[in-house]
Amino acid sequence: MDMYIRVKRSKTTYFIRCKPTDKILDIKLKLQELVDQPANNQRLIIPATGEVLEDSRTLADQKVENDAVVALTLRKDDNEFEEVNIVRPNDFYQARDADGANW
Amino acid sequence: MRKEDTVKLISAEGFEFVVDKEAAMVSQTIHNMLTSPGSFAERQHGEVTFPEISTTILEKICQYFYWHLQFASGKETEFPIEPELTLELMMAANYLHT
Repeated sequence: MDMYIRVKRSKTTYFIRCKPTDKILDIKLKLQELVDQPANNQRLIIPATGEVLEDSRTLADQKVENDAVVALTLRKDDNEFEEVNIVRPNDFYQARDADGANW
Repeated sequence: MRKEDTVKLISAEGFEFVVDKEAAMVSQTIHNMLTSPGSFAERQHGEVTFPEISTTILEKICQYFYWHLQFASGKETEFPIEPELTLELMMAANYLHT
């Protein structure tokens, strides 16, 4: 196994095994059954920059590395894609960070 | 990827992590849940809920599963653990026989 990426949407994370030479379309085909949506209804985005990943280019080309987080958005009924939506847990250690900021 | 080859691990807060069965079975506890005949409902649904494991810890554990597979296939990298996670991670690892 070469690498994996973490594909996130709402409260769900898909761990997908892949190779740096895989094209984005290959990743979408792997996701197809898991998310119940065909590849052309999926859009993959780098959450930090908002960059939309292109089907025909590889992971390596677009600097997607091992353990990277990629956001998945799906096509809505009106044919537009939804906004990036990744819910983060508000658990103990982030809560503690937040407290720290108030001291 | 086929759904049958994956398992959904659900954290205390209801966050879901979909991982390869092969990766999840790095944990002896999950391995037993998924392979013992009949007794575990988890086996039918391909879902395991961990009401005592927080989302941050469960994600770390899933990352560990994949790191373990990579390491087993000869890639030598360190597995990073944030110090503030150590205690809770150890308790979860103990429970999961990981």
